[in-house]
Amino acid sequence: MEQSIVTFLERILPDATSIVVEDFQQIAGGFSRETFKCDARVTRSGKEGKMPLILRKDPPDVEAILHTDRSVEHNLIESLRLRTTIPVSQSYGFEMDPKHFGEPAMIIERASGSGQTSALFNGGSDEDQAESVIKHLCEVLVELHKCPINKIDPNGELSDPFHRGIKIDSWDSFMDSTIEFFESSYPTFNFDPILMIALDAIYTLRRNKPRAMPLAVVHGDFNPANFLYKDGQVSALIDWEASRVGDPREDLGWMVLMDVVSNTHVMDYPKKEGGFLSYYNKLTGGDITPEELGYFTLFGTMQIAVPVQQFVSRRANKEYMLLLPYYVAQSSMGAFPAMAQLMGYAGVPA
Amino acid sequence: MMTNPTLDDLLEGLIVSLENEIMPHVSSPKAHVMCQMVQSLIQEVRQALPVYDTYVAQEHNEMTQVLRDVAAALGDTTGPEADRIRARATTLGALANVPMPADQAPIRAAHRELGYALQDCMTDLDVLQRAGNTRADTALQSIRAHLLPRIVRDVETLTMAGGMAGRG
Repeated sequence: MEQSIVTFLERILPDATSIVVEDFQQIAGGFSRETFKCDARVTRSGKEGKMPLILRKDPPDVEAILHTDRSVEHNLIESLRLRTTIPVSQSYGFEMDPKHFGEPAMIIERASGSGQTSALFNGGSDEDQAESVIKHLCEVLVELHKCPINKIDPNGELSDPFHRGIKIDSWDSFMDSTIEFFESSYPTFNFDPILMIALDAIYTLRRNKPRAMPLAVVHGDFNPANFLYKDGQVSALIDWEASRVGDPREDLGWMVLMDVVSNTHVMDYPKKEGGFLSYYNKLTGGDITPEELGYFTLFGTMQIAVPVQQFVSRRANKEYMLLLPYYVAQSSMGAFPAMAQLMGYAGVPA
Repeated sequence: MMTNPTLDDLLEGLIVSLENEIMPHVSSPKAHVMCQMVQSLIQEVRQALPVYDTYVAQEHNEMTQVLRDVAAALGDTTGPEADRIRARATTLGALANVPMPADQAPIRAAHRELGYALQDCMTDLDVLQRAGNTRADTALQSIRAHLLPRIVRDVETLTMAGGMAGRG
């Protein structure tokens, strides 16, 4: 693998006279991709420099939670880096031919900053930074959502990047086609009848559509594990593979749920601004209500639940024998009471 | 309670994961052997779980009979040893037989069939609800009232608090 990285870097850095890859190791996290880190010592014009790198590699096709495209992710990251002030790691490129890394892969800059975002909450060691970090996180999200779609995605790669049959010619067609996707996918993941709560969610979403809003590029997996921070600021928003065109309220809603599942409190900050939603509304001049947030928590949950539960279902059917799907099933079960609450089930415990 | 994956599926998953995902990365021979021991013990649990309660109940009922048989075989033997044996036969040996646990396989199969029946009711109710049938709204609440306590109990029984491993 190290030699493949050297070969890759030789291609993008043709003036390099020496490239040595060191400290190559797989890292935890990133359930959907295999992630590795390393340092490359690169000599150019007689001067040696160090490039901290991340290699994100696709898992074998059958084991993928979400079927995403490294070239699309690369193009998006570079578009964000060059056309906005959203902090992202530079993407050095991608390799779609599996003969190099075993599967399609991309190499990106390893951003500085801590990914231990749980340290920001619950008396963690960085709780003193939570106010400023989450305030900045909100500002970053607002910039993403306010940026015109065609500025970030001039080639339309994010219209329906997962080939789900999503239409984005209007907000209504986006919502209707997405809910249709949820419904048609349900038989592929109802490996146990308890999953009927997801079916209830799909029908509830269809019966209770809220008011329309302009579509935007959304992160698609905006959760407490997908940003790095340093010195009271977000140093990078990471893991853009689920990004696409959608309703901006999806990112907010998904963070609400992931706060519950992750035992974090992103949505409670910045406290001086009355919390994340309040500050978001202040920055956008909008008036997203808690009820709308609840709707999109459910909607965002289904966006992720479909591929995640399909991943579990394939394991339950023994199409592969990984442990991760069972762990994901256990972890995601904590979301069910929250879903029930969002649908108005009577008697949901606090 | 979820019936798929089964507890046996989960235990099998642990054994396979140790073999394919952990042991290839274990460089210590001692730790490698420990992994094999863990696999062996998990396999023990797999083998014991389906029969454990049945065997215990069966052996309970057999032992009461044996206590009685031992006392009967002594006939009119006298002495403190024989007296103690007869005493055991009339106390512990007189315990009533415990019921044998029901075969869980057909119960789980029926449970699964019932669950999917509720799921299909939900689909039919949605059609009625969208047609404006308010009774269907009420009927849906019956399903939800059944589902919620199950979900809460499953979460309490099956999950761990503290966030997701490997997610910062």
